[in-house]
Amino acid sequence: MQMKTAKKVFETALAEGRTYILENEAKDIMKAYGIPIPAYDTATTAEDAASKAKKIGFPVVLKVLSKDILHKSDAGGVKINLKDEGEVKTAFQEIMDNAVKYGKDKGTKVDLSRGVLISDFADTGTEVIIGVTRDPQFGHALMFGLGGIFVEVLKDVTFRLIPMSEFDAREMVSEIKAAKILDGVRGQPPRDVDALVNVILSVSRMVKENPEIVELDCNPTFIYEKGKGALVIDARILIEETKKTQSPSR
Amino acid sequence: MDTFVAAVENVPFVWVMILSGVDTTGIDHFFNAKSVAVYGASATPNSVGQAIIQNFIKPQYTGKIYAVNPKYSSVLGVPCFPTLQEIPHPVDLVVVAVPARITPRVFEDIGAKGTKAAIVISGGFSETGPAGAEIEDEIVAIARRHGIRIIGPNCVGVIDSQTHVDTFFLPEYRCGRPKPSNVANISLVSQSGAFAAAISDWTSELGIGISKIISLGNKCDVDDDDLLCYLGEDPSTQVICFYIEGYDKDKGRTFFETAKTTVLRKPVLVVKSGRGKRARAAASSHTGALAGLDQIADAAYRQSGVIRADNFEHMFDMAKALAMQPPARGDRVLMVTNGGGLGVMTTDALEAMGLAVPSPSPELEEKLKSRLPSYCSWHNPIDVVGDTDAGRYDAVLDEAIKSSEYDIFVVGMLLQTPSLGMDVTNVISNYQRQSGKPFVVVSMGGAFTTKAGEIMELMGTPTYATGEKAAVAASALAEYGRIRYGGEFNRSQ
Repeated sequence: MQMKTAKKVFETALAEGRTYILENEAKDIMKAYGIPIPAYDTATTAEDAASKAKKIGFPVVLKVLSKDILHKSDAGGVKINLKDEGEVKTAFQEIMDNAVKYGKDKGTKVDLSRGVLISDFADTGTEVIIGVTRDPQFGHALMFGLGGIFVEVLKDVTFRLIPMSEFDAREMVSEIKAAKILDGVRGQPPRDVDALVNVILSVSRMVKENPEIVELDCNPTFIYEKGKGALVIDARILIEETKKTQSPSR
Repeated sequence: MDTFVAAVENVPFVWVMILSGVDTTGIDHFFNAKSVAVYGASATPNSVGQAIIQNFIKPQYTGKIYAVNPKYSSVLGVPCFPTLQEIPHPVDLVVVAVPARITPRVFEDIGAKGTKAAIVISGGFSETGPAGAEIEDEIVAIARRHGIRIIGPNCVGVIDSQTHVDTFFLPEYRCGRPKPSNVANISLVSQSGAFAAAISDWTSELGIGISKIISLGNKCDVDDDDLLCYLGEDPSTQVICFYIEGYDKDKGRTFFETAKTTVLRKPVLVVKSGRGKRARAAASSHTGALAGLDQIADAAYRQSGVIRADNFEHMFDMAKALAMQPPARGDRVLMVTNGGGLGVMTTDALEAMGLAVPSPSPELEEKLKSRLPSYCSWHNPIDVVGDTDAGRYDAVLDEAIKSSEYDIFVVGMLLQTPSLGMDVTNVISNYQRQSGKPFVVVSMGGAFTTKAGEIMELMGTPTYATGEKAAVAASALAEYGRIRYGGEFNRSQ
């Protein structure tokens, strides 16, 4: 069931000549693997977007969904903290206009048939990054670190090969230099490390079962206080070029 | 229990071998060859073909040696034949030292003779480009057809210190040969031939027991995984060391899988170069290995239970301790010393390695106080001071072991003071053997100290010249304990 969801998404992508998985597709796969994600939906018209946003509950985020746009922010394709139906409709139109302009600047026609992703605008938590890369020598490895300056400036990240045991995941979480932040510092309550460990293990299992994934980023992932879970806010997946990787029996 | 250990233990060993493509068939011939032929034996002094013959005519090698070269009827008194097939006796191992272009013919000859192992010393194969790679593929194909295992090409081959099979083409006056130890032995696999030779030379002086050194070169057949498996089962190897510059595609993964089972039998240590960008590029052009992220290699070693050393010095400091001592059950170290400075320096190094150096409990402290002069220091490090004899070491070790408060014992032994007799070596080794706990001795000094260290090691306790080296050794004993005992390893911090 989980693998089926993934395989169908990958087939569609490759048929369209994409190795890049759209955000809603990536989230469909992750959801199937039990990875916590803010409520989301897709819409192709401003009206539809507004009514689906209402169902999800305000505030929401709108992001463009197009096979021709890899970096959504660069194309003016992200609008956050939209508080009512009116704001959603306006944002929808702006995103579409920006996308067309982005295409014109690049000299290509941008496919907008998929419309936008509407997502619950999640509360900010402690920001972490979970990433996957495929190493030429060792195969799939998972990276974990705290987000923001911790990863960008201090390079405070740690790796494990996939598949991972719970022991590996817990060791990873406790061995980054800034691990104390997850225990709660300066009067903050401790973070929900169990939820974080579950996200890591689910990502590990997802990649183990879908080896055509060459790169994956859950960035940012928010960790809330103990008992309140974690959410993967943005997800990016790259798969390898069309080439039957593994026999289906494996 | 540690989950990865549990997961691995449920998989039968043969299955791991089959799944990871490991094949140890015939590897024994390389080390236990009773008859060896050198293809390309030469009468020219200082040539490769002569140096190898010289190794096998030494009295230590008790097997038979033959030379193969149509130009001669004998080389250094060894009978020389135009082809292998003309040798009237069976041949276990062929050492190939002929130009690459004629090796396919040589392999047909090896196949016809029925020999199952060949070491190809010559270069000029895949390391030189597509033309060389073609020849390499050709000899591999011939070897597969005849069931011949190959080490190399482009390597210095193997040294076995017990059987004296020795294909290193380096004269002994330039490159010393290691000796086996009666206590425990290390085997080393090196991707680099020059490093294998340097290690042979270096360890011949270090007094570390070495069983085998293997230089793998291009790894056209026998590779790291095969040797990891073979050495894991080899009764004369207690610790396995690797020097690695990089792996071929996905070969890091298979090494990881093989190592997971091997580390449960014996310690595996790795020095992997190429941490930095430039070094990685150099390694890549040296061996054709793929460049990957070093942190991923680091994670793979950690996850599989392979201990990564920063450099060769650390690797051999660790290997010596792991070969002679049992793994630690926890990370609590007791340091006892007759020199305060040595105690402080060593403790600094122990803490830097992440080991715990806890104070004795009040009960233990009382017992120590009752058995030591009042001017001794009974915190950890315990200083039995400069006028000590072996008796105070006896008292401290007796009480500390009985207390079960410590997992590793680091004993500082400064022999410049005449009051400390050589009987201290007996005290230390007796407590080590009775307790079954790991001991490391640190003894700084000159000629007398060095001799005492050798005696200490003959009795089975590894001895180091500095506190830093002893701390590296102690940390390896703790690290291997963590690997072996998993969740049962007592981590105090």
